[in-house]
Amino acid sequence: MAATTVPTPFEVYRFDPSKDKAPRYDRFTLDLAPHTPVLTALLKIRSDSDPSLTLRYSCRSAICGSCAMVINSKSRLACQTQVGAELAKHGKIVIEPMRSQAVVRDLVVDQKPFWNRYRQIEPHLKTDPNDPMPVGKENPMTPEQVERFKETPRCIACAACYSACPAVEADPEFPGPMALAKLYRFVVDPRDKDTKNRLVRIQPEGLWLCLRCHLCTEACPKDVRPSERIRDLKELAIAAAGTSENGSRHAVGFKDNIAGAGVLNEFKLVRQTYGAMDLLRQVPQGVKIARKKPELLKKPHPIEGIEEVEAIYRALDPEGDR
Amino acid sequence: MKFAYYPGCVAQESGKELDMATRWVCRHLGIELVEFPKFSCCGSGFVDEANSILNVALNARNLALAESAGLDLMTICSTCQGMLTLANRRLEEPPVKAKVDSVLAPLGIRYSGKTKVTHLLSILTQQVGAEQLKKRVVRPLTGLKVGAFYGCHLLRPQAEMRSESAEEPHSFEDLIAAIGATPVFYRGRVMCCGFPILFVKEPTANRIAARQIDDAKAHGADAMATPCPLCHISLDSFQNKAEHEAGHALQMPVFHLPQLVGLALGATAEELGLPRHLVSTDAALAKVAQVAVPT
Repeated sequence: MAATTVPTPFEVYRFDPSKDKAPRYDRFTLDLAPHTPVLTALLKIRSDSDPSLTLRYSCRSAICGSCAMVINSKSRLACQTQVGAELAKHGKIVIEPMRSQAVVRDLVVDQKPFWNRYRQIEPHLKTDPNDPMPVGKENPMTPEQVERFKETPRCIACAACYSACPAVEADPEFPGPMALAKLYRFVVDPRDKDTKNRLVRIQPEGLWLCLRCHLCTEACPKDVRPSERIRDLKELAIAAAGTSENGSRHAVGFKDNIAGAGVLNEFKLVRQTYGAMDLLRQVPQGVKIARKKPELLKKPHPIEGIEEVEAIYRALDPEGDR
Repeated sequence: MKFAYYPGCVAQESGKELDMATRWVCRHLGIELVEFPKFSCCGSGFVDEANSILNVALNARNLALAESAGLDLMTICSTCQGMLTLANRRLEEPPVKAKVDSVLAPLGIRYSGKTKVTHLLSILTQQVGAEQLKKRVVRPLTGLKVGAFYGCHLLRPQAEMRSESAEEPHSFEDLIAAIGATPVFYRGRVMCCGFPILFVKEPTANRIAARQIDDAKAHGADAMATPCPLCHISLDSFQNKAEHEAGHALQMPVFHLPQLVGLALGATAEELGLPRHLVSTDAALAKVAQVAVPT
């Protein structure tokens, strides 16, 4: 028995930078069964209504990662998104190209920056010439070692996370969630012999621009959970390379800061993060805020039971600078 | 209704107005707040990055304090909500639990995992409820268009927060409607405010804040409201810097969640600490001030 079809309105982003002054949205209404993938609907638009509609796709099975786009504001795979749920939530389906990447035409974006970021993390095993990998033999890992990869090998490089990321959107220096999740995958690989260098290098290359907003983790169609692996990378980077950046200084400074009173000493934290010059630059804004909020400059009283907090620090953070 | 009150650091320090407004609203709605002078900082996501097991242990201690008093815990900060919830989730992993227990046991602290962590927003929408709240409104915020700004950690990662829809939440907008204002829906409402990198790379953080404020404005918001004091720092205390990055004026009043509710329940601007904001809330107040508050 055929499923009941319903009229499904689409608004599809159209733009050819070589001809058009500005993007426009074309409207199409298709009679579709609710379980129809958005990709199928777009291909139907292309075959039945407008052969010039341009999009990337290949496997139609959420494996190749080609058909990522923005569907009703969310970056995701068109082949994995069904029209029924979208229609129920939004009353229509708005299709746009991925964010933070220049439009080549319609739904096709220039992925060069995305792939460059991927290449920069050197996504291959780096071996030690003095300790080469066995040739012609297996190089087995234990189940525990494989466990450390977490979900990262699932990544299909669809760039949905890159498109969803507000740090990528705001700062070209941020490598993006996918590149960092891949980096994590090589950092924890016991066969890779460049772990420390990788961790040292990534700190000034934007690791600390991650906002831990977890939008990448929500966008990922494969549940790779990039934001959680970036968190792990930060902890590994501090252990391997210390606090070379504002970001690592801030995280470690925060940790050490609350050991003092159990609660945050806001003023002290700013001092812990910045070098002398940067600190000086903060003064005018600090004065502006402190005029309305004088507590900013106050040293907080230690909480009751601060000795319990101190004991927890002694046990779990013996190296900390308190 | 009675909770272990977890104000978090900022609301006890530079964001004191959030604590003032919370206490005012809870007093008026009969929500009893029990103080715990032993609570420590939630780690704000930074301690998690520097030393994740330490972060879980510190929060396990907080959760244990509430548990031993037989109370659930109320937060007023999206980040505190996120970090305390994250600790509850991590403690479901046996090796993490064993490690944390081994540190807490010698201090006589036991935590069995029972403490529920609930943000004031959920308490107002789910436990007090829109209907009850509507009955208490004496100054409906009619005509005021408010863009809710959730704060990442209240929603995400959804698998851990077990929150309402992380993509399309609506509890905050429901609350805004219940107190007579008009909620504004915009993409930025579930985006990041930039705070986590405010001390890493300020201009980038300011640009992110500006983007969300511009988005709220483009959708008609007269004001924004947030359940997170860290978002408030980024959106209000550093709005002048965001303006600088955006290259145009923003002039967006930003309310803490309980300030907006308190306003509708009849509190004065002073009782809610509104004069402490960096961006004046006067334009927003002028929109609702026409309604006389019955004394």
